[in-house]
Amino acid sequence: MNANNPYIPELATIIETFDETPDVKTFRVVLQDPAKMAAFRFEPGQVAQLSVFGTGESTFVICSPPTRMDYLQFSVMRVGELTHRLHTLKEGDPVGLRGPLGNHFPYQDMRGKDIVFVGGGLGLAPLRTLLLFMLDNRADYGAITLIYGGRTPEHLCFKDELKEWANRGDMRVELTVDNPNEGWQGRTGVVPAVLTDLGVRPDNAVAVTCGPPIMIRFTLEALGKLGFKDEQIVTTLERRMKCGIGLCGRCNIGEKFVCVDGPVFTQAQLAGLPQEF
Amino acid sequence: MVARHIKETELAAVAAAWARSYRVLAPVREGAAIVYRVFSEDMHPFLGRPPTSSAKEALLPQTENLFTYKYRKDQADLTRTEVFLSEALPPEPTLILGPRPCDARGRHLLDRVFLERGVVDPQYKAHRAATLFVSVACTSLQNTCFCHWTGGGMDDETGSDVLLHPLNGGFVAKAVTPAGEKLIAELPEATAQTLASLDERKAAAQTPDQAPEQTPDLKDIAGSFLAVFADLDFWTDQSARCLSCGVCTYLCPTCSCFNITDENQGMSGRRLRTWDTCMSALYTLEGSGHNPRGSRAHRLRNRVGHKFCYHPREFSEAATEPSGLEFSCTGCGRCIKSCPVAVDIRQIVLDVLDKAREKAAETAGAKGEEAK
Repeated sequence: MNANNPYIPELATIIETFDETPDVKTFRVVLQDPAKMAAFRFEPGQVAQLSVFGTGESTFVICSPPTRMDYLQFSVMRVGELTHRLHTLKEGDPVGLRGPLGNHFPYQDMRGKDIVFVGGGLGLAPLRTLLLFMLDNRADYGAITLIYGGRTPEHLCFKDELKEWANRGDMRVELTVDNPNEGWQGRTGVVPAVLTDLGVRPDNAVAVTCGPPIMIRFTLEALGKLGFKDEQIVTTLERRMKCGIGLCGRCNIGEKFVCVDGPVFTQAQLAGLPQEF
Repeated sequence: MVARHIKETELAAVAAAWARSYRVLAPVREGAAIVYRVFSEDMHPFLGRPPTSSAKEALLPQTENLFTYKYRKDQADLTRTEVFLSEALPPEPTLILGPRPCDARGRHLLDRVFLERGVVDPQYKAHRAATLFVSVACTSLQNTCFCHWTGGGMDDETGSDVLLHPLNGGFVAKAVTPAGEKLIAELPEATAQTLASLDERKAAAQTPDQAPEQTPDLKDIAGSFLAVFADLDFWTDQSARCLSCGVCTYLCPTCSCFNITDENQGMSGRRLRTWDTCMSALYTLEGSGHNPRGSRAHRLRNRVGHKFCYHPREFSEAATEPSGLEFSCTGCGRCIKSCPVAVDIRQIVLDVLDKAREKAAETAGAKGEEAK
């Protein structure tokens, strides 16, 4: 973050970009000033604003972990003006970056616990940063399970990594899609059903979930039935943001601002807020 | 501090003298509205009624540059570009003439957001340091005024550098801050007789305490708001007339929400901050299509909630009479006066209190039934 003016982005360069799905593209960027890149610190779950000067800026989670600082990774779905423009950029193009912003996953409190990641679609992006962080500190955590779903096999993000994680031998990966194609070897059906199927146990466990609102709703229900308490469920909220520093107003839930007090909340914290999200 | 005197007929000359050192924003009549314009010698500042717009534009301009950018093509490889950023220019020293005490109090409430909430906003801070408020005390309450609900008053000095007290075709100028004192140091002193007439005029003026039935007890409003938060039928009813035009927020001296957009011209452009409004559906519309405040009921609820619940809860240390709470509302009444469909935030606040009492009674009743 620019020390004198939090609205002025650091200049960054795209060093690599590739498609994840038909509408999600991954960007790997580095700050142009090597000293600033070397000094850049963030925590898993924090977000940043990416600028395409002339179009604007939007908030994305930094989906690479702080344990791998060769670049900062962002995976972006093409949905609006800024993301359309971002998708046209290529390796070598300049962007602006403001961050890190917001709070982070409470990974310190998760040490020694079993971790259940429950993701849908591009909701895997924030989970990826925490998952990789945990894999890089594997001894600190208990059993790790990833339950991940998408509309079709084609719509699953981070496909190569999903295979790699499944083959590691020190974590469990369960994939499911709504509409399978020929050759699909995973499950068929929605994510919450897989949770119930597996009979995930809540003892000494934390569930971390992110995905479309409808998936979150039924995931919370399923986790509740499995015996997870609100304190054991962690999620990260989407919210339209502009300033990212708690001033522009739009991401408030009551007197809390998702860009500063979030985006990561436990279900227990969310239950204490005005229900408007 | 020494009280000074300005004759009404000399006001333009005094403003002209100030304009040599400051960009002076002065209220002028334009049609039915009274708006702030940059002072020039041919202008007649009009201080007779509260301006239609609030004074916040002096500190938080409707549109301002956050920075400018410039792309440059790499001449060796025209498919490559570099980008350069330049900070916005610092604000000019500014003097705003004619805010009312409710506007000046708004300055104090904007400080809460931009200087005290967490991250200090450098641009607001620069405007704040470069701007003087020469406010005008009120001599009567309009029927939309309710500053006495929120801790203000007709001659409240909070947020002003100089407060002008209207008196018999002129003003008694009282400095509130050292900068204000310096500003008026050259003006003639007010005579003892003038000051005595001012005291007389004030003693005779209608004050809110003379109409105590108009000052509701708002100490429970934050809790009451939360108690009726989930009652969407109540909010749908309250917002039935609202057009989502946003005029309430644009004219409000404390509404400070903004948008950030880019304006591009060829290979260069600027990133702008502009006023935004929580009355707009686009304000919270997310990329996925989900909107946490998708209806007018949600949005009106947010406006009322921010002013009378979220702000007092966020700044709970800032105990303010008469309610013991600091609201992010100064009771200026502009949102009421300029609303095209007569939405009245005072009535909504009273209805929230009533509804919460009703709900509390229902709950108590239901518990009583259970106990039986």
